[in-house]
Amino acid sequence: MHSTPQNHAHPLGFLIAFGTGGLLALMVQFNGALAHYGNSLFASWTAHAAGTVAALLFLLVLPRRRPSSQPRPPAPLWAYLGGLSGAATVVLSSMAVNSPAGLPGTLALGLAGQLLFGLVADGWGLFGLPKRRITFRDFAALALVLAGSLLILLAGKGAA
Amino acid sequence: MSPFILIVGAAGLLVGLSRQLNGRLSLSTSPLIASFWNHVVGFIALTLLGLAVGGLWPAGALNAPWYAYLGGPIGVVFVALSSWLVARIGAVNTALLIIGGQMVCGLAIDLLQSGRLSLWLSSLGVVLIMAGMVVAQRRPRE
Repeated sequence: MHSTPQNHAHPLGFLIAFGTGGLLALMVQFNGALAHYGNSLFASWTAHAAGTVAALLFLLVLPRRRPSSQPRPPAPLWAYLGGLSGAATVVLSSMAVNSPAGLPGTLALGLAGQLLFGLVADGWGLFGLPKRRITFRDFAALALVLAGSLLILLAGKGAA
Repeated sequence: MSPFILIVGAAGLLVGLSRQLNGRLSLSTSPLIASFWNHVVGFIALTLLGLAVGGLWPAGALNAPWYAYLGGPIGVVFVALSSWLVARIGAVNTALLIIGGQMVCGLAIDLLQSGRLSLWLSSLGVVLIMAGMVVAQRRPRE
């Protein structure tokens, strides 16, 4: 069950990842509604509160797997700081809302930042996750997805 | 060079960083536990920020419909799935596919809500994203 460095991922993983992106679109929609009634800090703050409660409920209700498999090494303290990075993202994003570059360009730039981090993180196996060799295919896929995203963002701006 | 470019680029990097840290935590705990800590730590950080700069409880905030709060629980599932994925298919693939899914589903939501879209541009965008997914997935075995 423990992950090993792998260069070929299961197609099912790709479908799950695509669906995860769909969840994100839905989440952005709801959080946008909250921000509309309050502001972006309020929206993110309450979403984190509701999320904390929901996570506790999920943990209580869902059955626990693996009651006594081999003991796993504890996580380093810094691994608990993902939420801090997420909160900082909220702040930076709300600073950029009035960007003169316009919404599509701004959003595409954020996506590019994510992908850039991914390349570096995979290439060096940053923060204790498996290292993956970056190939030409990665760059080709990256260019296609980024170009497609930019087109969709531009088309959306025309409609708004 | 506008400072906005740096800010937005940095925000994107932080999204990746957050996913990587949660992914590492999920290896030692579980994806759901990693998502729980992500939300607890984020909530504490935003509470402190709100107390410092204000704006945590804006007027009219309680007028939001109840379903707007569903973003939180959806976020829990989202972070748990992302943590699970990033440790298995890598950071690039995770980011690529999540972005693709977000764009295509966001488009569907827009279409349902407004019905007005530049269909040519967005259709071409969907085709490019799908092509990118195929390229990313067809990896030669070694």
